[in-house]
Amino acid sequence: MKTELTISIDAIDEAALVKRREMGDGMGAVVCFSGVVRGREGDTSITAIDYEAHEEMACHQFRLIFDAIEQRWPVDSVRVVHRLGLVPVNEPSLWVEVTAPHRAEAFAACQFLIEEMKQKVPIWKKPLPA
Amino acid sequence: MIIAVQFWSYFADFAGCNKTEIEIENGTTLAKLHERVCEQFPKLAEAKNSTLKAVGLNYQDDDFVLCDGDEVSFFPPVQGG
Repeated sequence: MKTELTISIDAIDEAALVKRREMGDGMGAVVCFSGVVRGREGDTSITAIDYEAHEEMACHQFRLIFDAIEQRWPVDSVRVVHRLGLVPVNEPSLWVEVTAPHRAEAFAACQFLIEEMKQKVPIWKKPLPA
Repeated sequence: MIIAVQFWSYFADFAGCNKTEIEIENGTTLAKLHERVCEQFPKLAEAKNSTLKAVGLNYQDDDFVLCDGDEVSFFPPVQGG
């Protein structure tokens, strides 16, 4: 399974990521997910979220999740981008792409990755009130 | 032996620093170190039950026995995405 992980303060360029997509023969499904900063956090209006990570551990934990995906589903590739630092409202903080032979495993692996990330990958957010 | 301890996210604010060193005896578990940390930084005790603990780059259970050179991280629940 091919994997690509980027944790960066740079804005996520979804168009460029899609343009670089390489589909293996026999792959019939691509699932992409963008996690976008909402304008509200609970009852509070916000302008941005400031993301912080224990980067070395975050990379390691993502790799463990990739390994788990490879063992469970016939996925061809996983790409993940997580942004750090200030991410304004309406901009993506997370981008995930899974390619697989069929949609069922692509959706399942994408959902699994995000759920596991939210439990294990040491990234934290600090909302900035409007 | 000396254990390097790091605090992440708002735990660094609670502790007033993002890292420290704590001297422990051989055979000290992660849970015991956590108790020591909470004694030294009382505000962290308020979040004791929700604290996540890692040694190096991996999560470890409370009964993990620490070794010389281990680097321990304490942090709140993660919030990626």
